[in-house]
Amino acid sequence: MKKFVWSLTILFLVALLPLPVAAENPATTHVYDEANLLSDLHMEELETIAAEYGEKLHIDFIFFTREDNTTFIGDYMDDFYDEKALGYDKAHGRAVLVGIDMSGRDIVIDAHSDVKEKLDTDRLTMIRDTITSDLTNGNYIEAFTNVIYLTDKYMQFKPGVNPDNPMYKTSVQIIVALIVGGVVVGGMLFRMNPRMTTNAGTYHDSNNSEILGKRDRYIRTTVTKRRKPKQNKSGGGSSGGSIGRTGGGFSRSRSSGKF
Amino acid sequence: MLLHYKCPNCGDDMAFDTESGSLSCSSCGHQENIETYDDAYIEHAFADDEEVKEYHCENCGAIVITDADTTATSCSFCEAAVVLGDRLTGKLAPKKVIPFKINKQQAQEAFVKWCRKGILTPRGFMTANRIENITGMYVPFWIYDINSKVEFRGTGTKVRTYSKGDYIYTETKYYDIYRKLDLYYSRVPADASEKMADDIMDKLEPYHYNDLETFKTPYLVGYLAEKYNYDDKDLLPRVKGRVRKFAQTYTKSTMPGYATITTKNEDIHTKNLRAQYALFPVWMVYYNLDKQQHTFAMNGQTGKVVGKPPISKRKVAYWFSGISVGAFAVIKSVAFAISGVFW
Repeated sequence: MKKFVWSLTILFLVALLPLPVAAENPATTHVYDEANLLSDLHMEELETIAAEYGEKLHIDFIFFTREDNTTFIGDYMDDFYDEKALGYDKAHGRAVLVGIDMSGRDIVIDAHSDVKEKLDTDRLTMIRDTITSDLTNGNYIEAFTNVIYLTDKYMQFKPGVNPDNPMYKTSVQIIVALIVGGVVVGGMLFRMNPRMTTNAGTYHDSNNSEILGKRDRYIRTTVTKRRKPKQNKSGGGSSGGSIGRTGGGFSRSRSSGKF
Repeated sequence: MLLHYKCPNCGDDMAFDTESGSLSCSSCGHQENIETYDDAYIEHAFADDEEVKEYHCENCGAIVITDADTTATSCSFCEAAVVLGDRLTGKLAPKKVIPFKINKQQAQEAFVKWCRKGILTPRGFMTANRIENITGMYVPFWIYDINSKVEFRGTGTKVRTYSKGDYIYTETKYYDIYRKLDLYYSRVPADASEKMADDIMDKLEPYHYNDLETFKTPYLVGYLAEKYNYDDKDLLPRVKGRVRKFAQTYTKSTMPGYATITTKNEDIHTKNLRAQYALFPVWMVYYNLDKQQHTFAMNGQTGKVVGKPPISKRKVAYWFSGISVGAFAVIKSVAFAISGVFW
């Protein structure tokens, strides 16, 4: 019995000991603006926001811009991730990479490590679709900060859910609830009005009534045709998303396209 | 001429009993079968000077105060039920009557039950303990047998859509429709009293005609009754209008399967075959709430209540906010369970 109490006490003390924490290695530089798309002021702003939200979400946000058509920007991002061992929580850990290449007007967004569970290819494509118009118009700072804000928003939603569904907006929920209340109470009020309980059949004498003549003569047929509505969702510049691996074998989700 | 029914057994006042459908004495329980009652005087026509007439109660001798339309009432002094016989004779003699099936107590209970259903009505109304007055009343109706001859010509379409290749095809087939119908409507009622609102009386319908009896004066004993203000010719246009709609609905029902029907020509000839003067039972309930009087009518045969109950704005607000908040909570928790996001 004594032995048992001892072992229990030791177990308890062990449980109290601080667990070994994985060493964190947040990135110090978040923006690599080789194509010089951002002013110094915007660089500074983006760095600040990336650092701030990186700490909040435990994600390294890395932005690349360049003008170089020798290699695909996506491959360059994969190599960069492998070499620099990016990741907020650990080497080759949680990171979101955004790359644009002005030579081919390519845009690539990657989510690494377990970030890709919530930022799956669909959500990355939604982010990319949202920022494409800003990129086209040259509002690079808007586009890049928007990636961070949308990541912040989308990371809160469980995987597999469409975060842009309006039913998840509190304002829409309130409006729908008010409509439900209005319809139900309106129905209750309407039901209080006395209703007619007779209809055309109430006094109909079916024993004596008869149909004396009945004719349905076919005259003609007309046919009109219209084209089936197309079912593509977004406009130009969009291509798909995919789950893939970097050269170093690290799995990531990706969405890429043109702008 | 005042009719007053005394019990041949004990001499007390008799009144109509809804359960047995006969005249019964409240003191000794003696019952008189109404169907075998002699109503010979009804055939007799009286002079047309009824306005100036004074009626003396045979029970106590007091003057019975009535207005010109009353045909049955009770003596305001001794409460004896009396029937004003001369206002029910000649062309004023009703042919048919539907006797009361619901007595005063049942009417009161049914009304209270109906009031409790109104969850948006003020609190005081729901207890329904303030019924000021509940009056059983025979309301004069004309019941019409109507024949409608319908000849209809029109065009009907049947629409089919199908897709082939990149196109959606809509195929519309046109048909020439012809119908000739001979329709009969029996015993369509129209309220012949000036005092009763037509729409309320229409909503009290239907009355079931299996209880329709040949009129005898003892049916009126113990109730208020009125004579008609409008004769069968006055009300015929209103009834014809109603039957016309019935005939149109029936005509359309003989053309199933069409997506649209357009009328080219529709002839409806409506003819009155017979009009009968009948009395239908109505309970009038007068009810006081917040110094306002509300009137409700109840079908004395089926118990259907017609009337617009008062609405409590506060209760409407409570229900609206309650349901909205509840709906919001449900939506929120479902959204939270699915998405994992609260705000």
